[in-house]
Amino acid sequence: MPYWYYDKKDLQNTPSFRDGIPNDSENRYRKEGARFIIDTGSKMDLGYNTVATGVVYFHRFYMFHSFRTFPRYITACCCLFLAGKVEETPKKCKDIIKVAKSLLTEQKFSTFGEDPKEEVMTLERILLQTIKFDLQVEHPYGYLLKYAKCLKGDKAKLQKMVQMAWTFVNDSLCTTLCLQWEPEVIAVALMFLAGKLSKFEVVDWNGRVSKHNAWWDMFVEDITMELLEDICHQVLDLYSPQTQPSGGDSPTQTTASKPPKNEKKASVTPPTSASPVAAITKPVVTPVKNGSDVKLEPPKIDMRFTYPGYPAMPAYPVYSAPPPAIPAARLPIPAGPPLVYPEPPPAPPARFPPVNVPPPNYFSPMQARGPLPPRGPIPPGPPPPRPYYPPP
Amino acid sequence: MQGGSAPREPAPVLNTSSTILNMREKEKYIEDFDFPFCDESSKYEKVAKIGQGTFGEVFKARARNSNKKFVAMKKVLMDNEKEGFPITALREIKILQLLKHENVVNLIEICRTKATLHNKYRSTFYLVFDFCEHDLAGLLSNVNVKFSLGEIKKVMQQLLNGLYYIHSNKILHRDMKAANVLITKNGILKLADFGLARAFSVAKSGQANKYTNRVVTLWYRPPELLLGDRNYGPPVDMWGAGCIMAEMWTRSPIMQGPTEQQQLILISQLCGSCTPDVWPGVESLDLYNKMELPKGQKRKVKERLKPYVKDPYGCDLLDKLLQLDPAKRYDADTALNHDFFWTDPMPCDLANMLAQHTQSMFEYLAPPRRPGHLRHHHHPPGAQPKPAQPPQDSGYQDRVF
Repeated sequence: MPYWYYDKKDLQNTPSFRDGIPNDSENRYRKEGARFIIDTGSKMDLGYNTVATGVVYFHRFYMFHSFRTFPRYITACCCLFLAGKVEETPKKCKDIIKVAKSLLTEQKFSTFGEDPKEEVMTLERILLQTIKFDLQVEHPYGYLLKYAKCLKGDKAKLQKMVQMAWTFVNDSLCTTLCLQWEPEVIAVALMFLAGKLSKFEVVDWNGRVSKHNAWWDMFVEDITMELLEDICHQVLDLYSPQTQPSGGDSPTQTTASKPPKNEKKASVTPPTSASPVAAITKPVVTPVKNGSDVKLEPPKIDMRFTYPGYPAMPAYPVYSAPPPAIPAARLPIPAGPPLVYPEPPPAPPARFPPVNVPPPNYFSPMQARGPLPPRGPIPPGPPPPRPYYPPP
Repeated sequence: MQGGSAPREPAPVLNTSSTILNMREKEKYIEDFDFPFCDESSKYEKVAKIGQGTFGEVFKARARNSNKKFVAMKKVLMDNEKEGFPITALREIKILQLLKHENVVNLIEICRTKATLHNKYRSTFYLVFDFCEHDLAGLLSNVNVKFSLGEIKKVMQQLLNGLYYIHSNKILHRDMKAANVLITKNGILKLADFGLARAFSVAKSGQANKYTNRVVTLWYRPPELLLGDRNYGPPVDMWGAGCIMAEMWTRSPIMQGPTEQQQLILISQLCGSCTPDVWPGVESLDLYNKMELPKGQKRKVKERLKPYVKDPYGCDLLDKLLQLDPAKRYDADTALNHDFFWTDPMPCDLANMLAQHTQSMFEYLAPPRRPGHLRHHHHPPGAQPKPAQPPQDSGYQDRVF
């Protein structure tokens, strides 16, 4: 199986970069493509798993091809189309194109060519070869819920923290984090961030061993504070106005002459000031949405920023009062310990509004399980009961 | 192994007026792109057609490189696909990538043909498997192949081991039949053709699964599917295992119904009437009142199979696998613990017996069993019926292992 993780040097020297596209622009294309997959998927009632799988395909695809060769929105459609089939939530190609058309400006949709469906069909084969048919992708969501089950503390606060972390995981799809770190690591980091911002301090957890310094030591080895902060900053940078506001640019406009609009490499260079406190006090302003190019935006692209509660927030501390619009009841956390989440989660907290029901053919439970060792010739003990048919 | 291994891209020729590639440039780019993860199928040389899978032809081929290794290449048929790469093929790939076991066919890689003008820049894909010399249907149709009791035990033990493994991984095969059971010349059994397989979950209370019941080749289809059950599970494969086990002695499928109705009648005649007495809950299956179900039939599994099977343990295990009620049917684990596998003669290796046969035996290549008898390649409804035409030179033409 191919190895899908890259270090930051690789993420700067991409096919797009070698094709004359500055890193900043590429990061923006990635963000816009990811956001577009999220919006299209949400509008089609696709589950968060399908959407996230599509986004991961998208990021992987552009580690082998340039945004100049393959315009981002049609690639995004193709990724969502394939993810729909892989995650057993198939959507017809023509329906995806229809929704895409409704979300895009005419200019952007023109990159789909004369026969958009045929273009997607051709592109699908290129996509499959590029990602080496490595179809099954894991996401941080499942780990987030798994880890949350083990944490002790005030239930309401824990719930708020999980909701916030879930939102960060959604937003992390717009970064290249899935090309840098395993889903487990991203889940830990974004729970750490959410814990800081919602003032949920984890002091105890189920399964604690004396050698553990933090709860995540139980799940992932060798996570340093520097790493956590780096990951958090990459997500926080999404909310920062320093990131280029997205425009209608395509590689056509940006490549040749325009220098990057600002020096800051949004998600590639880790911030040097590195303490959680620094992150929290870093002022964050709601990105400008009313700029001149707002009409070029797909209607839902600024969904992230209209997150209820966020726009009013001048700085991060406000996060500590989680968005009131998230109904507290949507993430059912039973009163008594241990926390038992149904699997998969019945209601992801907020953000993909229509996407509350996990796909019926939820595939991920099996893939987490390692293949059993081959059976020895002597069956050990009495067979474990395997209720294929649950009692009525 | 990191991104540094990114492909050496041909520098695309860029049109100066527009930096987005035009169609011609893109075609050239696609044609020239050296997909680092997906080799060209020309690295293998086709030797013979050996079968027809649920979604395409299967070929025997050999590597052109120095090791000259044999493989089986299964073509992904996409000609009539409105929705791109078939979801069935995606399922099979996903499942095969997950399942790695001695008794499950091994997917080596997926290859592609080069995208050129001739194929409208659309590659054809092949699933490449380790080659297995025989399939069980081919072996059973050859009267010269004789299985001892110990060898039959070995076949069934491996088959149940494979099922135990896939069921533990929450996968249903859904197309158990002798033709989908491959056997290498070394006597290793491999479950194959996961074209109808899917992941299953144990239904939560009040939320029944809704799987299609239009699966499993008719002769191997269990009664719950014939009665319209959509919330089935591993027992559907165990029924097939029972049918295959009986076939080890009878040498041909034990219930060859021409229609679903007839198949149910055949099952009732062998296993007794489907009544709530022997099968609580059968009355609530969708088709229970819509199908003709013979009444008053006695169960005669042991009685009818004894003349062939002789071994009492074998008869007893068959009885347990061919249970009408899926809840009572043995699962793979219980079956493996049955005395059949733990009494003399113990399971014994197939390699010696197979060494006497130097030709590949596949159902697809085997001559008809009886003159005038039309060989049935039963495919589940929905899949197109495939003409069972062996190549013109027919028979066991494939002599090279």
